[in-house]
Amino acid sequence: MKDKNPLSPHIQIYNWHISSLVSISHRISGVINFLVFILICLWIALLFLGNSGYDPVFNILNSNFGKFIVLGITWSFTFQVLSLVRHFFWDMGYGFDLKIANLTGSLVIIGSFLFTILIYIIGRQII
Amino acid sequence: MLNATKKWITLKVSGIILIPLMVWFLTKFVFLYDKEYSEVLVFFTDNISKYTIFLFLVVAFIHSALEISEIFEDYIHEEKIKSVANKFLYFFAIIIPLITIFILFSLGK
Repeated sequence: MKDKNPLSPHIQIYNWHISSLVSISHRISGVINFLVFILICLWIALLFLGNSGYDPVFNILNSNFGKFIVLGITWSFTFQVLSLVRHFFWDMGYGFDLKIANLTGSLVIIGSFLFTILIYIIGRQII
Repeated sequence: MLNATKKWITLKVSGIILIPLMVWFLTKFVFLYDKEYSEVLVFFTDNISKYTIFLFLVVAFIHSALEISEIFEDYIHEEKIKSVANKFLYFFAIIIPLITIFILFSLGK
């Protein structure tokens, strides 16, 4: 019986909609975030090595590539946060109507970019 | 209670806890990422930061591991491969934060 459990259809046979785009992006950002959590652990571990051990991290994070990674991490986290909020509303029984689901899906995508900018501005103490 | 139900509840509860922790961490991370060693060390040795990061790492790894395990459930058909993949996932989701928390509480001593 266990072997006969149905599997999810693979992504290549879907027609793309906002909901499927947000759903697959939620999963991809979930995997990326797991890798980011490992990088955060590595960041903390390198602090333990002292000033000289931290130098490579300092150089990477101060390069353009580092800044791109920081922005990427910020987007991935904010996307996950907004998508989690959307899932909580579903769990409480709200937002299943197709129009609402498409609207909230669009809000998650657009909101993730807006919140990335907002968090960057707050974090850098620009305002 | 079914294992799948426990897993679902843990996923939801960890998600609720993770939302404010992720936002908190992001604002600190964006502020700190290009700072000198000494400034970053001051942040990580502060008691409030230390305990918040401790909570953040524990919840983040629990939530992420459960999310990835769901992906395995949906897309890996072979039970043996799924079981091995889950074991590896849970091993790393426990050992990595455990070592990091040990390091975190040793910083600045």
